[in-house]
Amino acid sequence: MIDRISFRAALITAMLSVAGCASGPGGGIYVPVGDEPAKAPEPPKTSTDTVDSEAPVWRKSEQPEAAPEAKEPSRSSSPSYRETGDGLSPAALSLVREADQLLAQGNVSGAIARLERAQRIAPRSAEVYFKLSEAYVAGNQLGSAEQFTLKGLSLAGSDIRLQRAGWLLLADIRRARGNVAGADQAEARAAAL
Amino acid sequence: MFRLCAIGLVLLAGWMVYLDAVVTSRFEGRRFEVPSRVYARPLELFDGASVSASALERELSLSGFRKGDGKKSGSYQRSGNRFVISTRGFSFPDGDEPRRRISLSISGDRVQGFSVIEGDNAPIVRLEPAQIGGIYPAHKEDRVLVQLEEVPALLPTTLMAVEDRNFYDHFGIAPLSIGRAMLANIQAGRIVQGGSTLTQQLVKNFFLTREQTLVRKANEALMSVLLELHYEKDDILETYLNEVYLGQAGTRSIHGFGLASQFYFGESLKDLDVHQIALLVGMVKGPSYYNPRRHPERATERRNLVISEMEQAGLVEPGRAARVRGLPLGVSERPSYSENRYPAYIDLVRRHLSRDYKEEDLRSEGLRIFTTLNPAIQYAAEYAVTDTLPRLGGGQGAEALEATLVVTAKDSGEVLALVGGRDPQFAGFNRALDANRPIGSLIKPFIYLSALQEPERYTLTTPVLDKSFTLEFDDGRRWQPKNYDGEERGEVPLHKALSRSYNLPAVRVGLDIGVDEVRDTLTAFGVDTPISRYPSMLLGSVSMSPVTVAQIYQGLATSGFNTPLRTIREVTDAGGEALSRYSLEVEQVADSAAAHLVQYAMQETMQEGTGRSAYYTVPQELTLAGKTGTTDDGRDSWFAGFSGDLLAVAWVGRDDNGPTSLTGASGALPVWSKFMAQVPQHGFSPVVPDGVNYHWVNSEQQALTDEYCDNARLLPYIAGSEPTQTISCSGNLERRIRGWFEGLFQ
Repeated sequence: MIDRISFRAALITAMLSVAGCASGPGGGIYVPVGDEPAKAPEPPKTSTDTVDSEAPVWRKSEQPEAAPEAKEPSRSSSPSYRETGDGLSPAALSLVREADQLLAQGNVSGAIARLERAQRIAPRSAEVYFKLSEAYVAGNQLGSAEQFTLKGLSLAGSDIRLQRAGWLLLADIRRARGNVAGADQAEARAAAL
Repeated sequence: MFRLCAIGLVLLAGWMVYLDAVVTSRFEGRRFEVPSRVYARPLELFDGASVSASALERELSLSGFRKGDGKKSGSYQRSGNRFVISTRGFSFPDGDEPRRRISLSISGDRVQGFSVIEGDNAPIVRLEPAQIGGIYPAHKEDRVLVQLEEVPALLPTTLMAVEDRNFYDHFGIAPLSIGRAMLANIQAGRIVQGGSTLTQQLVKNFFLTREQTLVRKANEALMSVLLELHYEKDDILETYLNEVYLGQAGTRSIHGFGLASQFYFGESLKDLDVHQIALLVGMVKGPSYYNPRRHPERATERRNLVISEMEQAGLVEPGRAARVRGLPLGVSERPSYSENRYPAYIDLVRRHLSRDYKEEDLRSEGLRIFTTLNPAIQYAAEYAVTDTLPRLGGGQGAEALEATLVVTAKDSGEVLALVGGRDPQFAGFNRALDANRPIGSLIKPFIYLSALQEPERYTLTTPVLDKSFTLEFDDGRRWQPKNYDGEERGEVPLHKALSRSYNLPAVRVGLDIGVDEVRDTLTAFGVDTPISRYPSMLLGSVSMSPVTVAQIYQGLATSGFNTPLRTIREVTDAGGEALSRYSLEVEQVADSAAAHLVQYAMQETMQEGTGRSAYYTVPQELTLAGKTGTTDDGRDSWFAGFSGDLLAVAWVGRDDNGPTSLTGASGALPVWSKFMAQVPQHGFSPVVPDGVNYHWVNSEQQALTDEYCDNARLLPYIAGSEPTQTISCSGNLERRIRGWFEGLFQ
């Protein structure tokens, strides 16, 4: 069984080289602040002239009133979302590669340390979580492996390749844990893609 | 007379035996209690890394880098936004980061054109981490242990030339050198040499008090001889190098050349130049009198005297000696770190450590603790609190307002910054951890999350009733919840009820799905204290610390994956051997699809609801999600929210739990926004989970509609729960047409 997991995990490895530098479209927009930000407008103030009254001041809304209406930020945009997670940057990819080598040498904790570094710089990449799952499989911590696979799947979005790799990995892990029904369910999800 | 002598001899012999025991037991046993060192997270540099030029410069300075030519290791050169950095190399628990010279530029708060000029090529390089604190022995002695073989040869030879020329030849005391010292002092007209051997100096520091009595002098001599009898010269010399007192930083005393080198020059001992070694050796005589930061003239004079001694002893060529005498002292402006710069954060680290480590080991075993603190984020967080708090109103007792700010990395749960009060340097009551306060409306996302996990019953457009009601308990007590503004709006769509933080719909929904269900959700998300079963918990009567709030919001931010908060990545022993790793953990505790719907409403909060004033401060492009919380009489003002990268929880209130005129939006939100506005980061844009589809709807009418209709809103639905009716821009047109057709053919 573990062999089979390794096999499907290897699929992810192969896939990574393709995913490579492709970064996800429509990712969260990076917003720099610049070194010398224009002086920020004063935060909305609440009136302090109420010291004479003992009772707390109630307003009609939880929003502060003091700010003049004209300054009301006009928000025309709607809540943001996107269809896929991020790809791996070359830096993250180099760490994943190092992890692969360490894993091949049987150094699981070394591989996990590399992958956690990769996760910190590419936290919205499904691949990183699948690789973490693979490392935990190698360390025979299947519970953690399953959770990292689920986390990866939550970021796979509409990417069919990632979805399939994730569901198959999940199926293998669940089967190895004795969860046959769960494994079948995951396999069915992969097949339905 | 003879008998008296005999008794004297016996007593002396007995005394010698006692002294011998003292000397050997101290020297044999653990010679030094070495404090544990606490490090910030190392800055990772690579193409695309998020850092501003000023933050990079601050980070370099915190890690003890000096502005210079960027060639000498531990220095950097900045021209405009271009940096050349020569790293010192560092031994991390997961491997060594070798010395490198790297070049990069900063554009749009990102690293660009990263390249390694010298050293092993790599697409990503870690700077050495800043030391942010230590856990000290009771006597507050700090030191970095060095071994004789790793010390530059010039240091011990210079030390001997100045302090004890015949170190390798005497037997602990050297009557001759006392005479020579006297001669030298007379020649120089002042004291340039001491008469004590290095062994005597060590004995004095190690075993004896500082008082100058004849008995103590005699003991010192006896013990020196005993020490020499038992141990090798090199052993004694190495111990001396580590023991010698070389300065003071607050209550912490600087011992040994290893730490002194870092403390005065920000450099490792092995990298010191001739003039720097001369200064350190010169300071042995009087570390505070010759303090190079406080008395640079005295220190320079003393250093140059040592250089002359080196020249006379043949350790330095005369030409070079003359040249280095002309050099400036070369001390760093301030110590590379000051003790307890981040008391609230270190407090949290210590609590985490106490689960696995004994206090005495932390104080003495020289452990290395690698934390997750991000100095740039901490800087921004402290500034947000100290700058915003005085500007808030707060009514009576505004001066008593306190604030906390907890910042974590959204997807890893690493605690990046912690501010425990309005004075971030104050190491007292840690509100971020110990102030348990009612969370008010911060509970609402968990009520709606519990509800939205049943898509057949609740969607974002399900109408919920904003209408007062009275709950009567078995014991006859009555509870009548109210809206904050006292108004009632009848039916409102669920997403609007959450983004506007209406109380009555939240309580109704909570009662409908059950208080126990909400409690289960909170527990799954990381609340580890008992939660009240009273319905008032639905309005946030449940109390939590800001750190706990950050923990439960982590799961919301990551679409239902609980990620335990961590402050420590690894702990190693003094030799760099890993003792503990605290790994990233994730656990799915809620349906990602339902969590995605809650995230939608929390984004709406920022755009149209109670959090919208954030955009007075934060750039419009930075998409955010969050929730306000206010408790009765403004006693607690909360804001919890997240971007693509960061999660932050702010609390403002009074320690005496007194009323203020603040709400979540006018107290905590300005602190939160001020923080978010300072940090370059990604906006929040969650990946649509499997099984969620977006539809254009008229949310008041719960019907699908056309994208271009004025009241159209693009809303996520769990597959199968989307509206079945369709409505046109101008009203119920489609249904009316269908009705007309249906009538026609009936």
